[in-house]
Amino acid sequence: MTDIEYIRPLNLKEALDFLWDNGEDTRIIAGGTDVMVDIRSDGLAKKYLLDISRLDELKGIELNGQELSVGAGVTISEIDSSEILETHALALKKSAFSFASRQIRNIATIGGNVAHSSPCGDTVPALLVHRAKALVADKKGTRLVPMEDMANKAYMSSLSPRDILVKFILTPYQDGFADFQKIGRRREMAVSRISLAVFAKKNNEGKISFLKIGLGACTPTPCNMEAVEFFLTGKIPTEELIWEAGSLLAKNMIEITGRRSSAIYKEPAVQGLFMRILYPMVNV
Amino acid sequence: MKPQSKYRSIGKNIQRRDVLGKIKGHAKFCADLDLKDMDLKDLSLKDKSLKNPLTLRVLRSSRYHAEIENIDIEKAKAIPGVAGVFTAMDIPGKNLTGIINKDQPLLADGKVRSKADPVALVAAQTEEIAIKALEAIEVIYRDLTPILDMEDALAPDAPKIHEKGNILFVRRIKKGDADKAFKDCHTIVEKEYKTHAVEHNFIEPDAGAGYVDEDGTLVIYASTQNPHYDHKEVTGLLGLEDEQVRVIQAATGGGFGSKLDLNVQGFIGLALYHLKRPVRYVYTREESYLATAKRHPFIIHMKTGSDENGKLMAIRMKTFCNTGAYGSYGIAVATRSAVTGTGPYEIEHVDMESSCVYTNQTFSGAMRGFGAPQMAFAHESQMDLLAEKLGTDPLEIRVINGFKKGSTTGTGQKLMDSVGFQECLGAVKPYYDQASKNWMKEKISPFIKRGIGLGGMWYGIGNTGVQNPSTARIEMDQSGGITLFTGCADIGQGSTTVLTQIAGEILGVFPEEIHVVVGDTKFTTNAGATSASRQTYISGNAVKEASEKLASVLLTEGSNRLKVSKTLLEFTDHSIHVSGSPEKFVDFAWLARRIHKKGGSLSWQGYFDPETIPFDPETGQGSPYATYAFACQLALVEVDVLTGEVNVKKIVAAHDVGKAIHPENVIGQICGGVAMGVGFALMEEYEYGKTLSMKDYYIPTCADMPEVIPIIIEDNEPTGPFGAKGVGEPALIPTAPAIVNAVSNALGKRIYTLPANLERVLQASIESGQFGPSNQFDPKEKNNV
Repeated sequence: MTDIEYIRPLNLKEALDFLWDNGEDTRIIAGGTDVMVDIRSDGLAKKYLLDISRLDELKGIELNGQELSVGAGVTISEIDSSEILETHALALKKSAFSFASRQIRNIATIGGNVAHSSPCGDTVPALLVHRAKALVADKKGTRLVPMEDMANKAYMSSLSPRDILVKFILTPYQDGFADFQKIGRRREMAVSRISLAVFAKKNNEGKISFLKIGLGACTPTPCNMEAVEFFLTGKIPTEELIWEAGSLLAKNMIEITGRRSSAIYKEPAVQGLFMRILYPMVNV
Repeated sequence: MKPQSKYRSIGKNIQRRDVLGKIKGHAKFCADLDLKDMDLKDLSLKDKSLKNPLTLRVLRSSRYHAEIENIDIEKAKAIPGVAGVFTAMDIPGKNLTGIINKDQPLLADGKVRSKADPVALVAAQTEEIAIKALEAIEVIYRDLTPILDMEDALAPDAPKIHEKGNILFVRRIKKGDADKAFKDCHTIVEKEYKTHAVEHNFIEPDAGAGYVDEDGTLVIYASTQNPHYDHKEVTGLLGLEDEQVRVIQAATGGGFGSKLDLNVQGFIGLALYHLKRPVRYVYTREESYLATAKRHPFIIHMKTGSDENGKLMAIRMKTFCNTGAYGSYGIAVATRSAVTGTGPYEIEHVDMESSCVYTNQTFSGAMRGFGAPQMAFAHESQMDLLAEKLGTDPLEIRVINGFKKGSTTGTGQKLMDSVGFQECLGAVKPYYDQASKNWMKEKISPFIKRGIGLGGMWYGIGNTGVQNPSTARIEMDQSGGITLFTGCADIGQGSTTVLTQIAGEILGVFPEEIHVVVGDTKFTTNAGATSASRQTYISGNAVKEASEKLASVLLTEGSNRLKVSKTLLEFTDHSIHVSGSPEKFVDFAWLARRIHKKGGSLSWQGYFDPETIPFDPETGQGSPYATYAFACQLALVEVDVLTGEVNVKKIVAAHDVGKAIHPENVIGQICGGVAMGVGFALMEEYEYGKTLSMKDYYIPTCADMPEVIPIIIEDNEPTGPFGAKGVGEPALIPTAPAIVNAVSNALGKRIYTLPANLERVLQASIESGQFGPSNQFDPKEKNNV
């Protein structure tokens, strides 16, 4: 890990200027909880390490009407302790609560979690549930990228080397049921084997009127499970119905991934976790 | 009010000697040693840069099983900054190591038997250069059929990994007539169990450093559990005399058995021998994972039979343990598993057989428990299965069969003293009853099932059926200061503190006031390995004997001076005084000078070797250990029937340690053992060829730890120092069986293969019919559909 030039721009413009000229030779670092691991295991075939962890433009969690924005440089701990997110994006807040370990939460950023494009990135399913768009900047301007287009495949971000993730714009949700749960091989510091984020609402007839499901760690990139959302919407959630929907979820997952050896566990466990996460909907 | 203890140091939670240094970061681990500060007066080292230690790296085999046709090191040697490249040809002594059987070359000698096998050693100015040199070494292999598991190794036409064949060792223990007894049994349970390889995962990866001192002695610092063994191996490898090599134990960050093998010490020695320059070798975590010993994977076939009341009548056990490419401690593991396989229960008819099998995997060695944890998983599962078949309570069946004073073991040894198993069961009982009555019935989520489970164990203290003495020396200087010399490696478990408590108790000084010289072969004598939970008992006794000898000469001289009988004298505060008359005293300094003047000795050696009777080679009958530790743990678990997640809520751990010399230390061992047991039970699995480092190997974190309720039982061991036995390994052994029994209790479905990970627990949940909507819970109802 020698021979890397470390650069810390003072503002976003400086960072974008630098990347415009040197993007191909640069690795961006924010919290470093993924980058440092990569450097140790494979070295870094780049000339520059661009530290964006202190850029003010990437900070802050704000609610403006129907737009909830979360800066890409916001740490997981900040998400975990945000009152705005507790009210308007509870699933995201919950994904932060159980993210890795305290030390990692204190320094890892949501932007890094998304840009790293791990299938197991814990914030991604919740961002999908909130129909988030990423505001991406380069020297020439900005653009909005829907969450589902953020990664081409596992560990393959769609961002160009000249881009910086600035913030995420979420649809805020209130007055409904929101949760995030995951399964790991231990209770902390574990890569998620399966993660699920949901937001659901029932109407006054007791039927599900709105449902968003984000599935993580099972498919090459986390995804919305629209067929399951469609299946349950307009129906009264009973245990049997949720169980059936969980089965559909598992089936859809296998359709995406094919039947890998891990499916022996994941197929029933996805159904089980779906049951567990939506069980409170049965009697509320 | 608690009664006043009759001891001043024993049983007291004094500050451990190593903690301040470790907390403040002053402790010197091998990676921290500044060799520039070492005593390098050799004139040939005028060039200061030579004082910078060279980095060592080993080229390991790229093949599982192959003959080496050629090793070309010329290109590597030519790289600037490379100080030396060595192969088996450069080893001047005998290129074979191993603590029990010598079958492991330091550097491959014509053949590799696993991907951990070292082929060549490089010494270079920097790590980068060393790695470049490794890449430049050209090895031509002629591949042999790799034997990756025990089934292949045992096939009749299997290629031989070692000349003598693929079975390293078989231990048989036979008592009575098991065949006949099974015919009379009312209930029989016969099952197969499998356990997996486990990585020790100590916090400090293996490390060593060294230099050549002004006399030409090779000085080797090592992270080790047995410096005196290292010394013997290195002198053998290099063909040197004892005094030409000095091994010093550096601060050691855990061992759990893996630092009993020669890991880096031989490489340090070989490089020093040839280069005469300071060298250092610190394994990366990846190298430590690849190249050091693992816990033996077991396949256990066990048949247990009882009468209609649950009294055990017969047991038959056939076990294979995978020792990988080399023996290491394999013979001890096979032997101990055959002995402990009965569990802490009296069984009249016993037929046990444990075979240790070579494969082309990274070698297995000692790991906390030496095969006993694997066996406990089997024998404790059998106890629960029997109880279930008989309709008996699991605790009750353990009480009925558990060892007590006068019981006879499977090897025919009569247990006369310090048999605290029944007390352990009794201590756990209130928690067990309470949990059965209340906790199990609390209303919780419909998808969480609660279960309780018990694990019992017994563990022989010290090596099995062989001599395993310890020695110690204690000296008084002429100002009355006391120094304890011990070869006993403190690897974080606290032995140095405990040994000074023992010496201090006898000599009437605070343990903190005793100087210690620990694990330095120039000054200390052999205390044997820090393994087999033996140091408190065996080295403790050696220290006790040395201290008593010194005490005796002091008392003789004190008696002369004070003109009273020795029996009326007491030690306190660096002096001897007349009992009941503290004003009539004589201090140590005076006594020391006096004894010295008279030509008496102030330096005394202690020795202890536990009394054992070796195994009969045919029947395995004998008294393999002088004393045993006993324990029972209770686990309370919650199982998520939808996902297979297991949450261990509480472990009640009752351990008979004879006497807790340092109770906080005992509790520390129990809690640490429970943590390791949680990992062994639920998540840790070293997959050969796949597991590279902690990124894909899960050990429990604090978040996985249950509440632990440690209960210390003190059934005094008459041959132990102040009644003490040991607790290091016993702490771990009952945890996994207790947890697995609790999971089985929760699901009504048993798991026979460890670890009971997400996959296996969910599978059991599905098979038990509990996986599904909560209103379909009744499995009977489900089956009718």
